[in-house]
Amino acid sequence: MTASSSARSLAPSGTRSNTPRRHSRILSLTAVAAVGVMVLAACGAKPSEKAAAAAPTKPLVVGISLPLTGDFSQPGGEAKRGYEVWQTMVNAKGGVLGRQVQLKITDDASNQDTVVSDYTKLITQDKVDLVLGTFSSLLNYPASAVAEKNAMVFVEPAGGAPKMFGRGFKDLFFAQPATAPHQADVFVNWIKSLPESERPKTAAYPSQDDPFAAPVIQSMQKQLEALGVKTVFSSLYPADTTNFQTIASQMASKKPDLIAQGSVFEDGVGLVRSLKQLNYSPKMLFQTSAPGNASQYSDAVGIANTEGVFYTVSWNEKATTPLNTEFVAAYAKAYAGAVPAEDAADAFAAAQILQAATTAVGSVDQTKIRDWLHANKPQTILGPLSWDKTGAPLGQFLLAQWQSGTVQVAAPADVATTKTIVNPKPGWK
Amino acid sequence: MTQLVQALVLGLLIGGVYALMASGLALIFGVMKIINIAQGALLILVAMFTWWMWRETGIDPILASVVTTPLMFGFGWILYRVVISRIRDQSASMSVLLTFGFALVVEGVLNVVAGNKFRSATPSYFEESFRVGSVSLPKTQVYGFVAAVIVLAALYLVLTRTWTGRAIRATSQNPSGAALVGVGAAGTAALAFALGTATTGVGGSILSVLYPFFPASHYDWISRLLGIVVLGGMGSLPGAMVGALILGLAETLTATYGGLRWSTLVFYLVIMLVLLFRPQGLFGAKLREDAA
Amino acid sequence: MSRLRAIPRQHLVAGVCLLALLLYPVINPWQPYPQGVMLLGFMLAIQASSWNIISGFAGYISLGHSMFLGLGSYTVAICALAWGVNPLWLMPLGGVTAVVAALLIGSVVLRTSGHAFVIITIAMLLAAQILAVNFKGLTQGSDGITLELPFWSRDYQNIPFYYIFLGLLVLTVLYTAWIRRTKFGTGLIAIREDEGKAASIGVNTTRFKIVGYAASAFFIGVAGGVYAYYLTFLNPVGSFAILGSVVIVLAALTGGKGTLYGPVVGAFIVQLASEAATVYGGSSQTRVLLFGAALVAVVLFMPAGLLPTIEARWRKRHPVTIEFTDQAGALGRSPATTRERALEDVAQAVADDLTQGEVLLEVRGASKSFGGLVAVDNASLTVRKGTITGLIGPNGSGKTTLFNLITGGMAADSGEIYLEGQRIDKMPPWQRGHLGLGRTFQVTRLFKDMTVQENVVAPLPDSRWRTMFADAVSGHEAARAGELLDIVGLRRFAGERAGDLSYGQQKLVELAQVLMLEPRLILLDEPAGGVNPSLLGRLTEVIRELNQRGITFLVVEHNIPLVLELCDPVVVFSRGRSIAEGPPGTIREDPVVLDAYLGDDWRPVPDGKAPNTVQTANQMGAR
Repeated sequence: MTASSSARSLAPSGTRSNTPRRHSRILSLTAVAAVGVMVLAACGAKPSEKAAAAAPTKPLVVGISLPLTGDFSQPGGEAKRGYEVWQTMVNAKGGVLGRQVQLKITDDASNQDTVVSDYTKLITQDKVDLVLGTFSSLLNYPASAVAEKNAMVFVEPAGGAPKMFGRGFKDLFFAQPATAPHQADVFVNWIKSLPESERPKTAAYPSQDDPFAAPVIQSMQKQLEALGVKTVFSSLYPADTTNFQTIASQMASKKPDLIAQGSVFEDGVGLVRSLKQLNYSPKMLFQTSAPGNASQYSDAVGIANTEGVFYTVSWNEKATTPLNTEFVAAYAKAYAGAVPAEDAADAFAAAQILQAATTAVGSVDQTKIRDWLHANKPQTILGPLSWDKTGAPLGQFLLAQWQSGTVQVAAPADVATTKTIVNPKPGWK
Repeated sequence: MTQLVQALVLGLLIGGVYALMASGLALIFGVMKIINIAQGALLILVAMFTWWMWRETGIDPILASVVTTPLMFGFGWILYRVVISRIRDQSASMSVLLTFGFALVVEGVLNVVAGNKFRSATPSYFEESFRVGSVSLPKTQVYGFVAAVIVLAALYLVLTRTWTGRAIRATSQNPSGAALVGVGAAGTAALAFALGTATTGVGGSILSVLYPFFPASHYDWISRLLGIVVLGGMGSLPGAMVGALILGLAETLTATYGGLRWSTLVFYLVIMLVLLFRPQGLFGAKLREDAA
Repeated sequence: MSRLRAIPRQHLVAGVCLLALLLYPVINPWQPYPQGVMLLGFMLAIQASSWNIISGFAGYISLGHSMFLGLGSYTVAICALAWGVNPLWLMPLGGVTAVVAALLIGSVVLRTSGHAFVIITIAMLLAAQILAVNFKGLTQGSDGITLELPFWSRDYQNIPFYYIFLGLLVLTVLYTAWIRRTKFGTGLIAIREDEGKAASIGVNTTRFKIVGYAASAFFIGVAGGVYAYYLTFLNPVGSFAILGSVVIVLAALTGGKGTLYGPVVGAFIVQLASEAATVYGGSSQTRVLLFGAALVAVVLFMPAGLLPTIEARWRKRHPVTIEFTDQAGALGRSPATTRERALEDVAQAVADDLTQGEVLLEVRGASKSFGGLVAVDNASLTVRKGTITGLIGPNGSGKTTLFNLITGGMAADSGEIYLEGQRIDKMPPWQRGHLGLGRTFQVTRLFKDMTVQENVVAPLPDSRWRTMFADAVSGHEAARAGELLDIVGLRRFAGERAGDLSYGQQKLVELAQVLMLEPRLILLDEPAGGVNPSLLGRLTEVIRELNQRGITFLVVEHNIPLVLELCDPVVVFSRGRSIAEGPPGTIREDPVVLDAYLGDDWRPVPDGKAPNTVQTANQMGAR
């Protein structure tokens, strides 16, 4: 600016004497910056170089990021409990590979950027020995990518969306018996086992547009249509839907025998309420996730109205799988008599898987662990788990039903807790 | 046909509740040209408080607004005096940022105190409906609508029949003129703001019964309310009411005939269309651009 | 002024920091985690700097700006998967989508001034999320899109992303600096400071705002494309979350919106603080509460932002004495020169006597009421080319309102206005400015936060795109502004903040500003107010010189001796309409005029001292 030079030349001469001071200030700034850079630089090893074998007395560090705050804070908190119960039980028996287990848990605040930073830090900077997954498919997608990039085995307690396993990852393992599209197979099998006259003739499929819930219902719809059950209603509603009157009235007008809802929680409760308002009770009601919330669900819809509601679940506290009773007891001891949620059990199982592989292989070599898991069937409180080469599990879920105010496991037969199944569902009370 | 009537009735009922919630926003903007983005968060705050009161004392949530409304009036007054008035003289954009930040603070506090769970007040009539022919009117919606109408009528009376109300309207039309006739601008502004937040007392109590909510729900609400106010014409109270009814109907009709997932989108689509042809909204005054 | 000294220092510090950032991965390559934190900081800085264009410069706050990041991510991911190409090649496509979206939204909502914009930006962000969820065929809905892992060795992991984002950041900052230098940039700031005034000096506010909004979207869209590849997974909820927009606003505000480096500094502060909170804060913190509290705190206690606050403190410590107006310089100056257009007119006028005295401005039957108050009542007025027409009348007679109707600040309720035969009353104010209509204001309306030089460079004499992007800081626009400042004797103040000048000085700057428009007709609203007597003489001289070169004037004044000396004809307004018109001598004696000014209970002094009327008028007009 021409004006500036004239202004400066007319200003008091003090300005000009600032110039040498200015230069030295810049020099000192540069020096500070350079020092700062050096400080940030912790000359380290390349990420691909393996860490030196740790001394046997050093604790075995497992790095985990969980959504302890934010949208997924509820399941995140449960998963943390599951991991911590596992840690207590394992350390009481001498740890893994003779080393005490230490959990390094960070909060990713249900945020994708943070989960990436968290796992990058845990793996490349903190150089943890093992890694366990976070909660929700949405967070596990980017987190598993970080683990895969760094060739760390990633066992995730949640994240069964179908796309998770289509990326050709070698280090990914899902710690539940089945992915979302196969979650409801056990229910479809039960319907197949019924005589024709008892099967539903018509069905309605409302589902939340959720990457986990929707595939369950979509897969069920396809299988039941192949069986001859007529679809009279099928619709996806947005995740923030709170008003179910329109859906409920549309379904009620078609009077379906079976309503199968892909719900998360609040929407499951909301639909039941709307159906009650319209006074329509289907002969069979299946909901994902929602009925698995124990007293929260029964309080919300009314205990009498839970009768006969079906859902599928990866775990039940009464199941007779190995270590299950000990798990339930340890959880109750640590958390004032509470019953574990499914999320806590899944987390526990994920840790069990990693423990089994590490113990069998005898080291924390990630390649060996990964290969062992692909070739074996570790036992967990969810039952034995095995995977295909993409990391998708090859098992079956449990079919659960509310009966007389409590949850019973109805199928498969070898782990069922009851021989009777309520069918048809009684009307609303 | 029944379905159409059902949809229309539901749309009007919810439109009435939207009108109540938007009126506070329109009032605050009309008087002091501040967009109170925290209005949605205040609704959730009241809903949470109402829910807690209902759970502890069993008081009917909608009747609880008798308690929440004066509480929110006082809260709004204090909020204005302590926080908002400081930036009164700065540009409008700063007030937007301030209220937005405040909304986040309210959400954050609710997160910490109450946790990230869905909540819903469920009084006895919660799942019941009135039946008129083959149309079923859920009792919660009807009671909410009635409460909204009562409060809006009361608001109208306050604004037109009381000195305070006239002072508020005068200040909104011409602040310096109002000052000249003895209306203290600062006091009136605080009153208007408090009145605007008082409407969230009733609105939030109704909300607690109508819809399950959790701390982050306020985004859905504030974007709806802001859309209504823009549609009606910023600062126009009758505009907000008409806009609320129109959008309530549009939302419900779309949900019934187009699918639930398009209903929120229709909301925004209607707003954009109106702005395309009428940039000042339905009843908005074309901004008077003064020389001095 | 130290603000100018600060500019080179600012760039120097920035250069040093850039060097450090460039060298960092070279010195310390095997640490993906801090690189990851830094590159997210770069990405936030890109967004905050871009946001600064529409919200910092133009003052139109966008609360949904992270929408463009999501749009860019989705565009690049979808195209990369469909065409089997690496996403990095498709980066610019992300920017294109963002710009198109901004243009569409802007053209609907930026046609008015005011608050609808803020609200619509939030609504559009949420709408984008809904669209992403529902158009499953394109976006795969809430299942999301997964991309392949980057093709380079895991040893390098984040390094390529680090450099790409850093490069984009440098480009964004250079781009913002370039915009700031052009008349587009000064126009945006003018819009922020005083949108009505900006329109009156030829700034097409609608076009500027829409272009500004689109300009603020491009680099964010490009960054979005790279981000998709970094994350390898996109989904509607993550890509269109409101928290992303909040962080952008917080970053820009903390550093100082409207400045060049403020948003960048703010972005680093916010990103590093956020990461520190995650690592050291444990799980008890909630992000939302912290961001909300930070936003409230910044707005209440440091609304200008960090950099301007530091600069203000610095200026307090190192004050520079301000020179007085260079009156001697102004008075000693050679006659005012104006542009070629004026000279052409002069040539025309001399060659063709018929054009002299032709009607330039005609107002026919204009009316304007405010509620029950009739300000302008079926008024008609004619201004002939080459005249200095005076417009006098008691306060409240509607003169300023009439001015507003002529320049387009208000719409008339009825009536027509013609400028050289062309009907202008339906035109927006900037178009009238481009046709050669300029105006000064009774209470000066300068852009207080811009320098005097920038104020004078800001007007646009025509609607060409080339003019819009012409350099405002150097080059011939700036030279011309300097000339105009010389005419009014304020060249020394070119680098001062306009708001720091005295009232009289501001009036002079406003006149220089108007001249930048190359006007044919200038409306002066009480030009003599606040100007000291010797400079008043200079002002009159300038007006006369400009008039001789062919500029017509319409002057509203209360200083009657000045009017009678300078203007011919003089129009008298009362109660919203013209009541008399004629040469100054006639007007002085006209009983209707005296009646209007003094009321009907005035009686002449009986001792034959005719100059009573002049004295009274003098007393009225004296300040």
